[in-house]
Formats: sequence, C-alpha cells, structure tokens
Amino acid sequence: MSFPSVSVPVSTQPPTGGPPGEPILELEGLYHKWKGPKPPVLDDVSLTLRAGEVTWVGGRNGAGKTTLLRLAAGILLPQRGSVRIGEITPASKGGVYRRQIGFLSAGDRSLQARMRVSQQLDYWARLAYVPRGRRAELVASSLQRFGLEEFAARRVDRMSMGQRQRIRLAMAFLHEPRVILLDEPRNSLDDDGYELLNEQIEQAAKRGATVLWCSPRGEDRVLACDAGYTLEDGRLERVQ
Amino acid sequence: MSQVRLWGDAMWGIMRRDAILFVSYRTQLVSQFLGPLFMIAVFYYISRLLTVRTIHSPGGYFGFVVIGLVIIQILTLSLGLMPGNVRQELISGTIERFLVSAHGPVNGILGTTLFPLCNAFFTGFFTLVLANVVFGLPLAATSFLAIPVALLGVVAFMPFALFLVALVMAFKQAASASQFIVSGIAIVGGLYFPIALLPGWIRWTSEVQPFTPATDLLRHLLVDTPLVHPAGVELLKLVGFSLVLLPAGFALLRASIRYGQRTGTVAEY
Repeated sequence: MSFPSVSVPVSTQPPTGGPPGEPILELEGLYHKWKGPKPPVLDDVSLTLRAGEVTWVGGRNGAGKTTLLRLAAGILLPQRGSVRIGEITPASKGGVYRRQIGFLSAGDRSLQARMRVSQQLDYWARLAYVPRGRRAELVASSLQRFGLEEFAARRVDRMSMGQRQRIRLAMAFLHEPRVILLDEPRNSLDDDGYELLNEQIEQAAKRGATVLWCSPRGEDRVLACDAGYTLEDGRLERVQ
Repeated sequence: MSQVRLWGDAMWGIMRRDAILFVSYRTQLVSQFLGPLFMIAVFYYISRLLTVRTIHSPGGYFGFVVIGLVIIQILTLSLGLMPGNVRQELISGTIERFLVSAHGPVNGILGTTLFPLCNAFFTGFFTLVLANVVFGLPLAATSFLAIPVALLGVVAFMPFALFLVALVMAFKQAASASQFIVSGIAIVGGLYFPIALLPGWIRWTSEVQPFTPATDLLRHLLVDTPLVHPAGVELLKLVGFSLVLLPAGFALLRASIRYGQRTGTVAEY
C-alpha cells in the first residue's frame, strides 16, 4: 500500500523566459467536446507560443477561447491532443507545469473578497511557490506596476471592478511566469489601467516570456501582438 | 528542504487566509463560543435528572455526553463544513487559484482543511474548559494524553472529509451527505448514549469505523470512563483505519479532480 505523497516542485528556481523565438508552449491537435449533441468546441487545434511573442486569439462568444486558455493553463486536461512546455505537461508531478503559467480568467472571480490587496497578492505568491526571500519584493513590485500601492491595505470587496481587474492581472504577472494567458484582460480597465497592462505585456515579452490573450470578436484589438488568430467552428485560423 | 518550505509556506498561506476570512465575520466568532455554552448547559440540566447505571465515571452522564458533544463539534466544524467550504470556493471561483498554482488543487484542498480543524480543536478545548470551570465536570489526570489521541482521531476522520470533498468536486453538492454522515456517526459512534443500548442488528456498525474507538479513548482519558477494549486495541484500530482510509481518500479526491478536468466540469458550480 502506498501512502499519499506530498507534491512539491522539482525545482525551486523561479521560471524565466527564453531566447526570442524559441518555442515555449506547444498545443497540438487539441480536441474538446462538451456533453450533449453540440459539435466539439475545439477540433484539432494546434498553436505554438514562442519566447518574446504576444499572440491574440479572437472569436465570437462561445467559440471556445476560454476552453483553449483553460487547456493551455492546465485547468482542463485535453480529451485528445497534447499541451506541453518542453517535456513538461499539465499532468507532470509536482506542479512544475503550473509553475510556468500566469493565468487571468474572464470575469471578476477568483478573488478573496474580504482580504486586503497586499494579503491577496502575498497569498497568491505563496501558492505560486515564490521563494520566501523574493515574496515581499515581488508583492511590492506588483502593487507598484499595476498602480495598486495606495489600495494595498484596502479590502478587495470595497474596490471598483477596474481596480479588482488590476489585482487579478497583478496575480497573473507576479511570479514572473514564462507563459502568460489572459482571458479578456481589458475587462473594466480604464485608460491608465489599459496602459499599465500594455507595459507589463511588453516587459514580459522582453524578458522572454510568451503572452496569449483572448478577446471576443467586436472588441477592438488594440493590445500589441505579433500573431493573431480567430477561433471558429472549433478551428484556429491565422489572421495576422 | 527548501521545496518542503515552499509547500509549508503555501499551506500556511491558505490557513492564514481562512483565519482572516473567519475573523472578518465578527458575529460568527461570538456565536461559535456562545453555542457550546448553551449546549452544555442544556445537557448539564438533563444529566441532573438522570442516573445512568451503565456509565461508570466520576462525571456521570454529563461527563459522558460532554465528550460526545466535543466530538460532534469537531465533526461538524471539520467534516460538516469542509465540503461546504470547497463548494463556496467553486461558487466564488477562488478554487481557480489552486487549479493554476504550483501548489495544485489536491494540496490546495488539503490546505483548506487546516483552519477548520484548528478551529474545531480550539472550540473543543474551550467546551471542555467551560464544562470544567462553569459546570464542575471533573477532568481526569490523564487529560493531557487526549491531545495526541485527538490528533490521531483527526487523521482517522480526515478520509471522510476527503470523500465528501471529492463528491463536491464531482457532483458539486454534498451538504445533505455530510449531514447524514454526522448524524449517523452520532448514533453508531455512541456520542450521546452508550452503544450497548443499540439493537444488535446495527451494533456492528460501531466496530467498523474510527469514531467509536476515538470516542471511547477520549472519554477514558478525559473523564475516566472504563474502556470496553484495552487501550492498545483501540489505538491500533485508529491507526489501522487511518492507514487504510487515508490513501483511499486522497485517491478519490485526485480522481474526482481529474474527472472534472477531462470533462471540463472542474470549474463549474
């Protein structure tokens, strides 16, 4: 009989980027079908995200953008096809895959309403296995980079939707992941917030990370990107 | 070593988060400490009406039932609330943080059990102190030994919480199941009355779960109730149940999360 083992990361080194153009995240032949008679939401979708690049995926509501991002983040496991960063897959032991990922979901969920902003970021840094020596520094820098310093001691449920979106974005970038996945990142952001987001995407690309962001068709595609795709009828089509 | 430290830091982060949330609801804090006072007051006056010949301990029925009440509290605050807490994580979307973090969903969910367990321990201790100081319950000299036994009991109870959480992850609901289990344990575990009073056809259920030996041992150590079986046998039972059920609980939780990740329902609520 085997006793349950505790999952700990294989490496304690924080993730870094890679040389420009080097493939980081590879999605191959992804297939996902929800229960019921509907056709598959993703059907043989392949996409390679490279170091230093920003990729955009658009499509109508319900086209499968969120499912694609959830598969890339390892929240969902592929029914067919593969998701990998080098030799690492979402099923790899010890959370090594998830350690490379920064994820922003669509909407305004996933925040602990009654925690203060700095507590929220510290909590996330711990879950992301940011080493003790770097935690305070990265929390402080995230507060500063997303214009949250003056709200650090404020409770999350007493903040506006745009301010909450900044906290959620700060969590996606805080642990300096190699792959940053953003689902409708512009949600509720004002001009300043939008500018801060653009800056952070640019800086992440400069350090060799790769960024994939999704937005619905009809929303102006004004965040800078190196490649653009639309998702329709389960297929990904390059548009830029 | 530093990897274990990162794991520990994340667990501490989850426990601290739950403590912050708990304390932020101030009335909850007050009601949690008033509840035991009223509850043991009711049983104190009921026990004064009763003389139970089958209970041989200095505290009589009151001592017997107070230990049962403490265990009920621990079960309600841990087993009863844990599935509800995980369901709340699903509804508020905060479970997503576990799903995308290095710490991962299984460790994350395990982390959510820590604060309720500490809270349950503290409330149980508080109840005993109230029973002793306010209602004059005599506590045995061996009471300090109850701490390691209670910890072992929690390890043996934990799989039941993991089973319920696995149900929540797979089917999104387990509130009725947890109520059913806690009520069932109260009957077959002998929390309110000696199991000798149960009819023969159901008494076997008292022997096939860890709650009866944990309750018997705690009663023996805290209020000097005589044991039916030797202490070593009761301890072995607790260890045995833990060794068998704990891996099964973890396996079921992992399987339910995997199932949700494959079907896409893991983030649904």
